[in-house]
Amino acid sequence: MKLPISLTVNGERVEALVEPRLHLADFLREHLRLTATHLGCEHGVCGACTVLVDGAPARACILLAVAADGADIRTLEGLADDPRMAVIKESFHQKHGLQCGFCTPGMLITTLDLLARKPAPDAAEIRAGISGNLCRCTGYQGIVRSIQHAAAALEQAEEA
Amino acid sequence: MNAAAAADPNTGQGVGAPVLRNEDRRFLDGKGEYLADIQLPGLLEVAFLRSPLAHARIRGIAIPEAHRGRVFLASDIAFAQPISAVGAAPGFKASDYPALAVEKVRFVGEMIAICLAPTRAEAEDIAQSIQVDFEELPPLWDMDVALAPDAPRVHEHWADNVVVETRIAVGDLAAAERDAAITVHRTLAMGRHAGVSLEGRGVIAHHDRRMDELVVYSSTQFPHVIRTILARALGLAESKLRVVAPDVGGGFGIKNNFNPEELAVAALALKLGKPLRWVEDRREHLVASPHAREHRYDLTAYADARGRLLGLKARVRVDAGAYSVWPWTAAMEAGMSAGIMTGPYDIPVYDGTAVTVCTNKSPLGPYRGVGRTGAAFAIETLIDAVARAAGREPADVRIENMVAPDAMPYRSVTGKLYDSGDYPECARRAVAAIDLAAVRARQGRGEPDGRLIGFGMASYTEQSAHGTAEWVARGLPVVFGYEPALARFTPDGKLILHVGIQNHGQGLETTLAQVAHQELGIPVADVVVRHGDSSLSPYGMGTFASRSMTMAGGAVSLACARMAEKIRRIGAHLLQAPREAVRLAGGQVWFGEQFVSFAQIADAAYLHPERLPEGEDPALEESAVYQPGRSTGAFSYATHACTLAVDPGTGLIEILDYVVCHDCGTMVNPLLVEAQVVGGVAQGLGTALFEEIPYDENGQPLASTFLDYMIPGACEVPDVRVLHMETPSPHTRFGIKGMGEGGAISPPAAVVNALNDALRRRGVELACTPVTPLRVREALAAAPRAKTEVVA
Repeated sequence: MKLPISLTVNGERVEALVEPRLHLADFLREHLRLTATHLGCEHGVCGACTVLVDGAPARACILLAVAADGADIRTLEGLADDPRMAVIKESFHQKHGLQCGFCTPGMLITTLDLLARKPAPDAAEIRAGISGNLCRCTGYQGIVRSIQHAAAALEQAEEA
Repeated sequence: MNAAAAADPNTGQGVGAPVLRNEDRRFLDGKGEYLADIQLPGLLEVAFLRSPLAHARIRGIAIPEAHRGRVFLASDIAFAQPISAVGAAPGFKASDYPALAVEKVRFVGEMIAICLAPTRAEAEDIAQSIQVDFEELPPLWDMDVALAPDAPRVHEHWADNVVVETRIAVGDLAAAERDAAITVHRTLAMGRHAGVSLEGRGVIAHHDRRMDELVVYSSTQFPHVIRTILARALGLAESKLRVVAPDVGGGFGIKNNFNPEELAVAALALKLGKPLRWVEDRREHLVASPHAREHRYDLTAYADARGRLLGLKARVRVDAGAYSVWPWTAAMEAGMSAGIMTGPYDIPVYDGTAVTVCTNKSPLGPYRGVGRTGAAFAIETLIDAVARAAGREPADVRIENMVAPDAMPYRSVTGKLYDSGDYPECARRAVAAIDLAAVRARQGRGEPDGRLIGFGMASYTEQSAHGTAEWVARGLPVVFGYEPALARFTPDGKLILHVGIQNHGQGLETTLAQVAHQELGIPVADVVVRHGDSSLSPYGMGTFASRSMTMAGGAVSLACARMAEKIRRIGAHLLQAPREAVRLAGGQVWFGEQFVSFAQIADAAYLHPERLPEGEDPALEESAVYQPGRSTGAFSYATHACTLAVDPGTGLIEILDYVVCHDCGTMVNPLLVEAQVVGGVAQGLGTALFEEIPYDENGQPLASTFLDYMIPGACEVPDVRVLHMETPSPHTRFGIKGMGEGGAISPPAAVVNALNDALRRRGVELACTPVTPLRVREALAAAPRAKTEVVA
């Protein structure tokens, strides 16, 4: 049995017939070919599949596609033109906030949300803010520095 | 040459410069292409039916009628040869590791059947519908159980469950024992854990009709070597097999084995002529990927009254699981640990035994640090115990026992040739950075919150970029002696480096470009590094054993140095200048104020040979193969020092400060070096504090999701302060030493030493990893004095 869903993904209307057990990440990756959303555990723990659902970060691996019916979904691909995300990406580049790149899309989306809620977080707040995103390569230090750099750069951009 | 001298003063992009990474862009845009991102028309998804039992005979397998043709057993791919990794050590017991279990399963997670469907979910449905009739056998769920005299055998044709036992005995141990004022004996245990790359393993295989070749994508660290062994296992010519490692989401050693999954998927794709894809899920990874660590140590140190070590006796036992992984063999962990046990110390007498035990668990494979993390845990906790027995500061005893800088090059008692460095100075700098005196004063004052403060340190040597001699000595099926590079300009003047290593986070698409810049003066942004594809790059060994920067860097340097000569000749000709008078900088050949661009030179070389000097061959392409001057390895080294607080009520540990002073020779890119160190420390802290897959007495793994298996998160890893020393290796191009693994070697030793320092007055000493809150509380509860204090 498949169910019809209708949702918005990266600003575009999407209609689909999906199995009730299909999770949103598989829907994005396998049906829509949006592969920036990564799967690291499918337990809702590692955060690699983090996307924005109606503007808030959510784990696409533990959200069923049918439960996202009517929702507005934004993946990293859909943030390609977001000026704040551009600053965050550049900061991750400048401060070496990524190694293998697998956790990076989820980390970037979590950072976008964190800095929207808390524009000038200290290191401890950043660590708490990204504690739901696991990274196996960096030991987080480069990521924390990247987010500090992004916060300063965004603040500067807003003052200008 | 030190880094400062090596760095190009013109542009700051050469060896020694903190260049930002070339490869970042695609990952930041979500355009990295990992294995599971690859789609092929008609792709079928694979789900493996894996054994739920640790040890059982398979009496029968019932496949529902509806799923016939979608389920494949060992008999369906009988042409695929089993994996066989046999060590050269005398007495090594060989075993076959079949892609799919034949008559017997030997660990929970072993593959029994391949199930195919258009989606993974449907393939898993099929797997669940299969009924296997098992005859359960007693599980060998622990190495002590497997070593019992009457234990059943994992492999029936063996006399016992010992894979191999080797021994290194040098010097007069009886004399050391007789002369010792201090004798310290300890037993230690390191828990078994998983490697946990954030991306799991995965394989895609399909038949390329036009080339009539099997194309295998694998999330692997060594695609060329996989092609070789896979071709042998499948009975194919290597020319009919292409292996591609796409973007790989972390490796750390787990993706450095020839996996049964690779064999099974490739064999079935070959048989069916259909494209197949297997993507490892997290549960499969935790249960059935090659595991890490699980060492036990029985150690005796003989020392004089001041703690100077006279001799060391060590027995290392490693639970290697059910099968021998290719190409490392089951004996790698124990052998490496016993072989590097004396670390940075000048210990004249050594008697080390390495025992590799076969059990009903997932096979043990390489994981960042390999045997050295265990060896460092052993010798470093032992040195602290010696210092306590001598009534001295462990830092002082440690430094006094170290190989002196004027003893370099130094041959260790186990025969390792340490090439260069100042081990005592490195340790002194780490201790100074942590301010040991201040930590001792703070301990004296006590903490207002009742927590106990401890200081711990640990030092190591990291053999890196070892070549022919070392791998021959280890007796592996393959000798990893060299790396190639093919440097090729495009006619528009950009450089493409084709290399045999595989980049999965190390930054090699940048650092190899820096080496090219060093030789050619070409901007790093104009250099593309291609790797990971057996049809694209010259044959190479891959990325592991802290080798890629040294080995591939050397090859790129050689090829580009030859290229530079040719470019100088062509450039001088075009500029009508003497060859000796031109120089390369900024992607141009300069003669005084005049220049020609590399684009003009490449245009001439490829499209206008009439413009070349007489006798000059057209094209701009050079290849080189590099081996270090000595193939015994370049030895990096480090001292880690940390301060922690432990809550005696909860057993919870907080790392307060963590310092690494390290020396990896000439640093090609200090920004990336530091990040590798920090990332390694985080993994080492996982080993020390959190990560473990215990097995129960049924041989069932008790941690199989991220809910019961914890890797360090952002709040668990402290800021690590990294201090650099740079003593070039005399054996390698630029003096580079490998350093990818080092960060993960010391943390278990440093943390447990700090914990025992904190708990010393409670009469408690822990001797295991991970030191979980539960283990700390249990140790405190078992100590009589601790109870008194709690009551008081």
